Amino acid sequence: MGKKEFIIRRLLQMVVTFLIILTGLFFVFRLALPDPTSALVMEGLSAEAQAMVRARFGLDRPLWQQYFIYLGNFFQGEFGMSFHYRSAIAPIVWEKMLNTLVLMFPAIIISYSTGPILGVILSWRRGSRVEYSGIVGGLFLRSAPVFWTGMIFIMLFGITLGILPTSGMRTLPYEATGFLDKVFTLDFLWHLILPAMTIAIYYMALPMLIMRNTMLEVMGEDFIELCQAKGLSERVIMYKHAARNALLPVVTQAAITIGLAVGGQVVVEVVFSWPGLGREIIQSVRTSDFPMAQACFMLMAGMVMVMNFLADLLYGYLDPRVVYQKGGK
Amino acid sequence: MAQKSNRWKQLQPYFQSMKAPFKAIWADPLGRPGSILFILILFVAIFAPVLATHDPHVMNENIEGTAAPFVDGEWQRMSVIGDRPLNSTAVISPGESYSVGREGIILHFDGDEWVEKESPVDISLQSVDFFSPEFGFAVGEKGTIILFDGQAWQQVDSPVEIMLKGVAVPAEDMALAVGEEGTILQWDGSSWTRLESPTERDLNAVFMTSPDSGVLVGGRGTIIHYEEGEFVNASFRTMLDGTFRDLNAVAISPEGFGFTTGQRGEILGFDGEDWFNMSSPESRELTGVGIVDADKAYIVGIRGIVLEYDGEAWSRMDLGYRRSFRGLDISEGYGFGIGTDPYINELSPPTRDHLFGTTHLGRDIWSQVMYGSRTALIVGIVTALLVNIIGVVIGLVSGYFRGRVDNILMRIVDIMYGLPLEPFAIILVLIFRPSLWIIILAIGLLTWRTNARIIRSQVLSLVERPFIKAARVAGAGDLRIILVHIAPNILPLAFLQLAVAIGYAITAEATLSFLGLGPPRLYSWGTILHAARLSGAWRTAWWWIIPPGVFISLTVVSVFLISRSLEVLTNPRLRGGNTRAPGSK
Repeated sequence: MGKKEFIIRRLLQMVVTFLIILTGLFFVFRLALPDPTSALVMEGLSAEAQAMVRARFGLDRPLWQQYFIYLGNFFQGEFGMSFHYRSAIAPIVWEKMLNTLVLMFPAIIISYSTGPILGVILSWRRGSRVEYSGIVGGLFLRSAPVFWTGMIFIMLFGITLGILPTSGMRTLPYEATGFLDKVFTLDFLWHLILPAMTIAIYYMALPMLIMRNTMLEVMGEDFIELCQAKGLSERVIMYKHAARNALLPVVTQAAITIGLAVGGQVVVEVVFSWPGLGREIIQSVRTSDFPMAQACFMLMAGMVMVMNFLADLLYGYLDPRVVYQKGGK
Repeated sequence: MAQKSNRWKQLQPYFQSMKAPFKAIWADPLGRPGSILFILILFVAIFAPVLATHDPHVMNENIEGTAAPFVDGEWQRMSVIGDRPLNSTAVISPGESYSVGREGIILHFDGDEWVEKESPVDISLQSVDFFSPEFGFAVGEKGTIILFDGQAWQQVDSPVEIMLKGVAVPAEDMALAVGEEGTILQWDGSSWTRLESPTERDLNAVFMTSPDSGVLVGGRGTIIHYEEGEFVNASFRTMLDGTFRDLNAVAISPEGFGFTTGQRGEILGFDGEDWFNMSSPESRELTGVGIVDADKAYIVGIRGIVLEYDGEAWSRMDLGYRRSFRGLDISEGYGFGIGTDPYINELSPPTRDHLFGTTHLGRDIWSQVMYGSRTALIVGIVTALLVNIIGVVIGLVSGYFRGRVDNILMRIVDIMYGLPLEPFAIILVLIFRPSLWIIILAIGLLTWRTNARIIRSQVLSLVERPFIKAARVAGAGDLRIILVHIAPNILPLAFLQLAVAIGYAITAEATLSFLGLGPPRLYSWGTILHAARLSGAWRTAWWWIIPPGVFISLTVVSVFLISRSLEVLTNPRLRGGNTRAPGSK
């Protein structure tokens, strides 16, 4: 099976997974809220008016028909009406998702570019105090809950030193005509520093520790000895030959970690009042805004799946030995 | 017998593989401190009720005695003068005063500062009065009477055991004390005797202008005059005057006019003949009255109330006091308002009593953190066991039977990988109620996926080993092969996964509780931080934020260190220094 086939199969699998989750969510929500009309209409509305609302939203049809209407709408980007905002969900959620991505990507890129380099350094200094403190420090950073480090950062940089903004994406009030207009400003970058650093530091430790472990394994392999015999410098052996081969497990781990990061993002958004999907889903729980919670959840699940897919592709690109064969990993 | 020893033999591989992980943890230079740390935290969780210094739910109150000096017609700043609440004060001269209060505290003011004096009793003293700097009495609970003779305080015999609330000492051979149930006691220069009382209502205060004349006030508007050994009921200006509210304090000027005050802002005036109602600007409880001259008098009350009399009417003064007054005495234009009810010790930085300080509701953070360790470990261990059992069973079945079973199970795992944990738990809480079980369920339902994958791949490689094939040839059934031959070999890996899962579950529990998804009345490190964030006070209250976070980190670090040493056990290539040993692939 070729690469192209693998990608198609993987994409198909993704769509099926998405559908299954979507279906599960639909029925679970129906179980919790058997009659969505009660949430939609005001109390005291006449029976005819209620029936009209039901007919308009298709709630008078059998459940399986409703389910297909729901599926159809979802894939057209139509997520329904928010109970809380009393307006269409789609435009709100898309913007929140962009807000989330714009925070997440820089953070993940920082952690996965610096983490492995630190790991190489640790393995290089094998047995030294640097390595020992690096391991303990890395473990501690990984153990400290990300919302807690965020709070400490806010206290330290935002309150005590007063040098960095601690909440929101921009200084209020601000005017922006669109998303790009909002993001391409110095003010935005300024607001990005603390939350992005908080996430980056948390996710940096894992690639660092894995990199160190696999580097130690790779250093035992024959081709390293060959490189030494060729008279290559330590630096070249480290970065060019050993590190490249040790990168693989880091990428595997990244697939899982980045997926987890989508969920972990929620708590960071709450701490830094970042108007992203995570904060929205928490708010929708407080206001019992079922359709909003549903839309946020599906978008987040979608993000997780796309990230896992991208990581899989990257894996194949980095390791030429990977053969795409049937039966999964 | 033979059957029994046979079974014992079958179990032996389990015990052998059970011992190995502990040996590996102990042998590892990082595993040892990790396991010690974990055991310590386990002890904290077990002995949390002993370690907690306070009830974590209780709003802790600070009890201090405060005094607001009144000097040269001006009220001064209220300051703390003792560590117990004060009930009464007596101003002897501008340079000398006494205050008494709870637990028998006696404070003496020498013109500069308040100094605590040795007290012969340790129960609450309610009232104090002096005839001269060398002679005074204080009375209190259980009929306690103490005498100051110029040298020291000493307890004197009391004819009653009833709570005494007021004392007045107009001469060395004449003093009156009043108390609950209409108790009236008289001092004749050598001992106290009980007098026949005209009332059965509680008496709260007594004021004597001379040894022959005084006023007693008490419950339900009781006012009784003392005239030359006789008790006379008060006369009122009109039929409508008078009150049914409890009266707390009374003061009469040398000129003969006076005031009494009590519950719900009640104020009555005395013109020398009759009592009459005065309009009051206050509706809360008033506790003390002091007269400067005919045109100036003050009344104090709870929550720092001070009312001023300008010769005609009472008006409220705003002096910025917040602590409650319990008494007031003014003499020669000089005096003290003293008191303080216990107030909530909110947002206190760490002290010896509150090792980690207090919250905005005055709750003890140290105790909360101690109890929080229980929640963390219970959730951590229960969830990790749950996750591991699901993971091992699915991994074993999937890896051993392969084929269609494996395919279906692994597709389920793939679907699980599409679910982000925190949003999943949030949805569960939206549908059900916040509780500990929702948290355990959410983490448990989602995290077995990793365990299952890892166990499965190990089983896949084990199945190909010769000894499994040999067992199969020998006619062993699937169940027997799984339980006797495969399971013991994946135990070290399951142990490692257990440690990883505990760390992950503790972090996840803290995260979900921080988001407010945990049960509200149960303390966990996450809920402490959640409460801190909700209060808004956390931005400055570092003592509220740092301890729970450090405890989470230390616990998770300890299990990480343990799991790292177990990793060495399952992956021998990580063992030892430079892995240059021949045969290391």
